[in-house]
Parts: sequence; C-alpha cells; structure tokens
Amino acid sequence: MIQAAIESLGGWTWWILGLVLLGVEVLAPGFFFLWFGVAALLIGVSAVTISWPWQMQILGFAVLSVVAALAGRRFFGYRDAPSSDPYLNLRTARLHGRTFTLTEPIAEGSGRIRIDDSVWRVSGPDTPAGARIRIVGADGALLLVEPEAPLSHD
Amino acid sequence: MLGGFDIVVIVLVVLIALVLFASVKTVPQGHNYTIERFGRYTKTLSPGLNVIVPFIDRVGAKMNMMETVLDVPSQEVITRDNATVTVNGITFFQVMDAPRAAYEVNFLENAIVNLTMTNIRSVMGSMDLDQLLSMRDEINDKLLKVVDAAAGPWGVKITRIEIKDIDPPRNLIDSMNRQMMAEREKRASILTAQGLREAAILKAEGEKQSLILQAEGRREAAFRDSEAREREAEAEAKATAYVSEAISKGDVQAINYFVAQEYVGALKAFATSPNQKTFLMPMEASAVIGALGGITEIAREAFADKDEHPVRGGRASSTSSSPSSSSGSVPFTGQRPEPSGDIS
Repeated sequence: MIQAAIESLGGWTWWILGLVLLGVEVLAPGFFFLWFGVAALLIGVSAVTISWPWQMQILGFAVLSVVAALAGRRFFGYRDAPSSDPYLNLRTARLHGRTFTLTEPIAEGSGRIRIDDSVWRVSGPDTPAGARIRIVGADGALLLVEPEAPLSHD
Repeated sequence: MLGGFDIVVIVLVVLIALVLFASVKTVPQGHNYTIERFGRYTKTLSPGLNVIVPFIDRVGAKMNMMETVLDVPSQEVITRDNATVTVNGITFFQVMDAPRAAYEVNFLENAIVNLTMTNIRSVMGSMDLDQLLSMRDEINDKLLKVVDAAAGPWGVKITRIEIKDIDPPRNLIDSMNRQMMAEREKRASILTAQGLREAAILKAEGEKQSLILQAEGRREAAFRDSEAREREAEAEAKATAYVSEAISKGDVQAINYFVAQEYVGALKAFATSPNQKTFLMPMEASAVIGALGGITEIAREAFADKDEHPVRGGRASSTSSSPSSSSGSVPFTGQRPEPSGDIS
C-alpha cells in the first residue's frame, strides 16, 4: 500500500503526508505530529530530487522524526524558551528576596509570617517578632528566611 | 509482495513513532509531571517541551500547580454550649512541591478536605455559639494555621480557609431573635425609666428651689418686718419720751386725758359699728368710769392750781368742755400725779 502510493505518486507522497501531519498538529497541539510532519517534508524534498528506494525513505523518515524531536527540544525546550513571566505558578520563587516583618517569633527554627493575607510557615534562625526578615529560599510550602541586616543609621 | 525487510522497516517506523510519543513530553503551563525511572521518582518536568528517556522513564503523576478551590461539605458541629450548627466552607490550596504532593499523600484533595473538616469540628467545638457567629476571622485564622502546618509535608500550601455558612437550627434562630428583641425592649424600658426618673428629679429640684426661694422671701420679709417693728418701737419710745418729757414739764394728769379720750372713742366706735346688734362691753365699765374719774381729777387739780400752772390750767380748761358730768365717787385708778417725769 505504502509501496504502491510511493510508486504512483513518487516523492509527493511525503509532501502530502507531511502537510496532513502538520494540519493534525495544528488541530491537536502536543508537539508530537509536528516532528513527523517535518521529517516527512524533508524526505519529500529529497524524494522529489533524488530517487530513493522506498524502504530507505521510510527509514529516513523515522530517523529524521527522532532528530527533529531532539532538535526541537534543543531549540524550543523549557530552559531556552523565553517567558514574559518565568515565575508563573512558582509562588515561592516570587517571594524570594522580599522582606517582611515577622509577626510571630521564630522559635526553634520555625515561625509564621503573614504574606498577602495568608499565613506562611517560615524556617530560620530564632528571631523575635517584629524583626525584618528576608526570604532566601523555599522548601515546598516552607519559606526559608534569614534576618535582614539591620539598617545602618547615621 | 512485501519482503521480510519491508515488514521490518514498517514495524520500525511504527516503533519509532511510539518511542517518540513516549519520549517527547510537552508539559502545559500550570502543571508539573513527575518522572519515574523503573517506578522510582527521579525528576519533575516543568512546563515546556521535555524529552525523557524512552523505555526506562515514564510519567508518573501529572500535578496541577495552580491554586485550587475545594468545597468543604456541610457537616454538623456541636459547640461548647451544646448547640448543633451546620457548617460548610471552602479551602484554597496550591501545590508547591509536585513530587511530594504526588507521592507523600494518597488522594491529596480528599486528604485536605478531611483534614479541614476535622479541624473545623475541633476549632468550632471549643467555642460557644455566640463566639462562633462573631469570630469568623479568628476561626479562619486558626484553621489556616493548623491545616497548613498539617499539609506542609505534602508540599501543599493552604492559602486560605473560609467558613461559608454557619446555620444554627431553626428553633435556635427563633430564640436568638427573641433574645435580641427582649434585649432591645429591655433597653427601651430602661431608657424610659431613666427618663421618668430624671424628669421626677428635675421636678423635685424645681419644687425645692421654689420652696427655698419662698422661705428666703419670708425670711427677708420677717427681717424687714422686725426691722419695721423695731423702728416703730423706737419711734414709739421716742414719742413716749417726748410725751413724758412734755408731761414732766407739764402735768401728769394730761395722760389721763388722752387715755380717757381714746377709751371713749373706742366705745363710740363699738356703738356705731355697722353690724352692731348686741353691744358687749368688752371690759369692766368701771375702768371707763375710772378714766372719767381721772378726768375729774385733772379738772380738780387744774382748777386748784390754776394760778401756779397757767399752761396746765389751759389744757385743763380745754378738757372741761368734754363730758364732765360724772360723779367723783369712783375711786381713782389712774397714775399718781408725780411732777418728776421718770415715766419712760
């Protein structure tokens, strides 16, 4: 069937397949059909110019799919993708570096502060209430804090 | 038609498609995927395009990292003062640590709901109904602290717990309304009573003031009266002094003349008083007659010493024209004639 299609339509079979796959990707985004589509188009380009055996074309299509996926990860991967709000859904990361007034003293390494009308558990060196603290990190929902260096007056 | 190699190629393509499907993972924003290698958690995929090692890695849990609201279903709570109220609420939570939320707890949402429910029972069960209705903020705060601390190990942040409805039973609401009305009525009666009391006090004070003022008026008047009497007495005394002085210079019997004249005048007044039907002599008639006797004495003396005291005699002569036709047998009761004027 594939053999018959390739033999009757030649390299254009890959073009048709590639475009259909891209269309499927547009309708059902998931970065999955995209790579097959890209690979199909590349094989199509080569098949139109050079005459490959169809088995080789299919193998090439499979390999190119994987390569396209890996390349896509490299170029569109999370770490490299610029985001206008990189801290989306990272609530504790947003709090990092901010300073607050301690409402309840930190005793034996744990206390509470009020942030944005909610209460957060904090962990850090023992500090009396009313002190200024800076958030330096987070462990799950537990904020790691350290006393802010007292402002030098005069 | 298809050789063995052809079939291998087709199967290979299908396999590669499956491998790609298994290894390319696109994580949507707001989610985190946990990755298990041979069933053991290894890493977490953050939003974006991710590739995992096929065959050995697989996606374990797809965690929603967005803040989520959970309904805390209605439950009956018995307060400290034994009132049964129906309470429901909502809990907001957000997963902070996907692997912990995925593996440290089974059925995360169920766990949070049950944790909240039991803590609502324990917090509200330690309060009176009145506190329950008036201290919602405190209740929410307490619940948040307890549940948040308990959910901490699950990598979950409880951001907010709100008690939505507190429904006491119907008859309790009725009695609360009655209590409120009674309270208001009590205040109204107290205010009325206070008003009446203040009015009475004001009235009494006014009366007191008026009595005081009246008494002061009377006192003042009495002072003035006594002053007047003093002044009168003084005048009388002076007049008497003048008279006695005059007498000492003249004759003592002149007094008797005045007295007799007054006496007779008084009798006349009695006689002519308009409502006179019966005429009562208020004193012994003899005194009148005595007075007349005094006049005769005057007359006698006047006539006897006519030459020595022309002034006295002159006076006596004028008295002689008054009724003198009385008998001299009546004893003399008037004052003794004394030339020295020591009558004060």
